[in-house]
Amino acid sequence: MGKKKCVAMLLAGGKGSRLNSLTKDLAKPAVPFGGKYRIIDFPLSNCANSGIDTVGVLTQYQPLLLNSYIGIGSAWDLDRKDGGVTVLPPYAETSEVKWYTGTASAIYQNLNYLKQYQPEYVLILSGDHIYKMNYESMLEYHIEKRADVTISLIEVPWAEASRFGIMNTNEDLRITEFEEKPAEPKNNLASMGIYIFSWSVLKEYLEMDARNSKSSHDFGKDIIPTLLDENKKLYAYPFKGYWKDVGTVKSLWEANMDLLNDECDLDLFDHDWRIYSVNPNQPPQYISPEAIIKESLINEGCTIEGEIDNSVLFQGVSVGKGSIIKESVIMPDAVIGENVKIEKAIVPSDVIIPDGTVIRSFDDEIILVTEEMLSGLHPAL
Amino acid sequence: MKRKLLGVIDATTYHDDLEDLLTHRSLAALPFAGRYRIIDFVLSNMVNSGIRSVAIFPKMMYRSLMDHLGSGKNWDLNRKRDGLFFFPTPAVDSDSNKIGSFENFAANLDFFYRSSQEYSIITNCYTILNMDFKPLLDWHIHSGCDITEIHHENGTPMEMYLVKTSLLIKLIETRNETGYTCMKDVVLDPDHQHSICRYEYSGYAVMIDSIQKYYSTSLNLLNSDVWNQLFIKEQPILTKVKDEPPTRYLKGSTVQNAMIANGCLINGTVENSIISRGVKIGKGAVIKNCIIMQKCVIEDNCYLDSVILDKDVKVEEGTILTGTSRDPFVVRKGTKQGALMNT
Repeated sequence: MGKKKCVAMLLAGGKGSRLNSLTKDLAKPAVPFGGKYRIIDFPLSNCANSGIDTVGVLTQYQPLLLNSYIGIGSAWDLDRKDGGVTVLPPYAETSEVKWYTGTASAIYQNLNYLKQYQPEYVLILSGDHIYKMNYESMLEYHIEKRADVTISLIEVPWAEASRFGIMNTNEDLRITEFEEKPAEPKNNLASMGIYIFSWSVLKEYLEMDARNSKSSHDFGKDIIPTLLDENKKLYAYPFKGYWKDVGTVKSLWEANMDLLNDECDLDLFDHDWRIYSVNPNQPPQYISPEAIIKESLINEGCTIEGEIDNSVLFQGVSVGKGSIIKESVIMPDAVIGENVKIEKAIVPSDVIIPDGTVIRSFDDEIILVTEEMLSGLHPAL
Repeated sequence: MKRKLLGVIDATTYHDDLEDLLTHRSLAALPFAGRYRIIDFVLSNMVNSGIRSVAIFPKMMYRSLMDHLGSGKNWDLNRKRDGLFFFPTPAVDSDSNKIGSFENFAANLDFFYRSSQEYSIITNCYTILNMDFKPLLDWHIHSGCDITEIHHENGTPMEMYLVKTSLLIKLIETRNETGYTCMKDVVLDPDHQHSICRYEYSGYAVMIDSIQKYYSTSLNLLNSDVWNQLFIKEQPILTKVKDEPPTRYLKGSTVQNAMIANGCLINGTVENSIISRGVKIGKGAVIKNCIIMQKCVIEDNCYLDSVILDKDVKVEEGTILTGTSRDPFVVRKGTKQGALMNT
């Protein structure tokens, strides 16, 4: 194996339990987003666009779809002779099967993967967020600061700061204190879960952490506080731009709606920073003479005969005559019958909505349509 | 089927009537249906019929065709054995403009000698259809004919032939003695020594040989009967993928009866038109009965009726362009159209 300056490790084993039935059969990074993407397309495309050609993807929860989606990485131009994408599931050793018990343990158990590339730096990413970021600039910053660890931070509204891991820094942006979900935050700079480690520091502290039976083997809870205690050089890298954790049904819906807003910083049409994904290769969308389309994002393979108002439609969706889809997200290959009304809802992949169905919430909640709901048991219908 | 049938696509054809659209590309690479090139149809038909080895014979201006086909990956033809073969015709000034020209094949006879497939299907590159060749092969084998020619049910020959590869090789080798220059010559010779059969195809099929045909066939895609015959889930038409985002419809846009590819930003009105990938349509612009190819930019308040815009055309603010349904106004690739220009 050739030596690599920087190798990325993408944590993609998350269950995303607050996404309810959407993550019943698939890991959170595989959840569809933005009319044609899956969440993991964002960090993978960022890697490809940042010139990082070696990416380990750590999977654990419901990996089937994720594995087949990633394949050999060709969608992101990561099918390389040397490096490229490697899916890293937990594995058995002579003594036992070792599940990934925390973010740090997942990386620790794959130190051998990293060693073969003799990297100088390791970029640790999560497969849960929607954002566009140049990791190369962050790496340059890390090198310039001669940091042991660089953590990417984003400004969050003060009112929400206590939901995040908050970093306090000095004027030079050196991190002096880390507080996980502080009741009274002193700062509104939250960790985005993106770290660059110098390899020797990462290796040393992961090995140390693995021997500590009291540790929960988590970067935020264990590794970072230990590094701070030992006065290592941790620097904050302030990120400006769109960043969203789509951990709940509501935030997933909001992030999709953001794409319909002209003020939104997340530009999918930027050819200089394309978001790559596995292309479904379907015919162009067909908009019938009866159809009405208002401010929406619609992907290939759709057949629209109804009204689409402020909605996001994934590939292969069909919408029958007289139906109205308002402020909703319709995932791949869903079939919407005739005279259906859907408002403020997420319709998952392959769901068939019978003619005349009305899906609308009576409070401001976003409805996640489920099979049970469609069998007529849910009060929303 | 696996290794039984060899696909041979003759991509040398040029139609004078399509000149305006063929200044930069071969007919095989002519954009069609918003995201495809004409050759995608026969090529995908072959792949969907289980053909694993396809030879393409282009002539002149094949840059865009080669760029489109690449390694054949999008058709799953980037294989260790067999796969996609590209044989540009060496004799550039050869005037053989006939489908299945033996002269062109002769320059690459080694390929035919090496191919293990017992049968070969020779097709043109400019027919829009979604045909399964498997029943055709079965029919050909059962009929015991030497050569099967595909005819459309309306009686027109479709310039597609099925033969044993060994017979094809023999026809190429003996071309000087027999005087046959192409498959058509063999079929039309009243004194031929072969058993020749006709296979009738009843599905949708149109050969694109003029601007008028190109225009009407494109707009016919908006007819769901045609659409449903061409775009079949189990027999997808494959093409080069482009990583465009979904199309965005902005405030003030009105779209009716249209086929729209990915990556478009639509602010204006689109009616009865085909819009390709990455097209931008400005505010107040009206596009009616048009074929708009990739990456065109139509600025605010333009009015276009019965127009074909080739790739990368920029139509400046307030420009009016009109053609007729019999004679659409064609704008050549990469040009600029301004409001004050004489159209």
